[in-house]
Amino acid sequence: MTDVKKELASNQTVLLLMPSTQYNEVILSTMKKLSGKSIVYITLNKTSDSLTELFKKNKLNLENVVFIDAISKTIKKTPDQADGAFFCSSPGALTEISLVISKFLKHNFDYLIFDSLTNLLIYEKKSPVAKFISSLINKIKISKTKAVFYALGVEEQGELIKQTSTFVDKVVQTDKLKKQK
Amino acid sequence: MAKTVMVVDDERDNITTVKAVLEKEGYNVLTAISGDDCLKKVKAGAKPDLILMDIMMPGTPVREIIPKLTGIKVAYLSVVRTSEEEKEDLMKSKNIVDFIQKPFDIEDLVKTVKKILG
Repeated sequence: MTDVKKELASNQTVLLLMPSTQYNEVILSTMKKLSGKSIVYITLNKTSDSLTELFKKNKLNLENVVFIDAISKTIKKTPDQADGAFFCSSPGALTEISLVISKFLKHNFDYLIFDSLTNLLIYEKKSPVAKFISSLINKIKISKTKAVFYALGVEEQGELIKQTSTFVDKVVQTDKLKKQK
Repeated sequence: MAKTVMVVDDERDNITTVKAVLEKEGYNVLTAISGDDCLKKVKAGAKPDLILMDIMMPGTPVREIIPKLTGIKVAYLSVVRTSEEEKEDLMKSKNIVDFIQKPFDIEDLVKTVKKILG
């Protein structure tokens, strides 16, 4: 399994490409590797409650983890913020998500996890998504936070992945994805 | 008499696929592209025995549409991963009969529809 912590030791921004079959395994192993550090976790497809449930089941310490959850509000009545989570209106609300992330970057979190680029494209067109990613990575680069962006290695999103590859310091493919190719 | 299923999804590809499969199984299939569209069609007289409703669509939130569909069985289709507690909460409405996680196997979907509609 790819050691994200090691990759982030020498790179500030990493794009982690994985096959969908490995997704759950990767999100867990990354959290395990970064455990104990302050993390801002942006989720676009699992509610923060479901991630909390998953991570706690795997005995991960979430004390220093804050979620920016852009999905819960779309399916249930949700406040703007709760214990350890800030809620954005939807995964397509790029400006809102960007503003919330900017606020967090000012607090010098050790790591930012963006889960995931793949989900952004479900809700928005390629062009605004590419602009959003480019602007976000620029903001990260002037902060002290290190970031990992997840993306599924799906062909339909090749263009966005190529574009994002030019913005990040390193692109890492999980072993299984390499084998698939 | 054939039972009627309404497929409500903002992704037209999903509607097309599910509609084709359910029609092949002998169901009458109605479609709608949002919760609002579904409600409009029900108010106009559509009487589905089951609604397969994507949980996240543009327009009025689905959670506000469900209570207005009194007496009609609804199964959620969800790309969103939720916690067990959230799922239980979502299933609390009287007319919600199932929660189907996307992406689903089309054969499983047919089995679920058959189970619900008898």
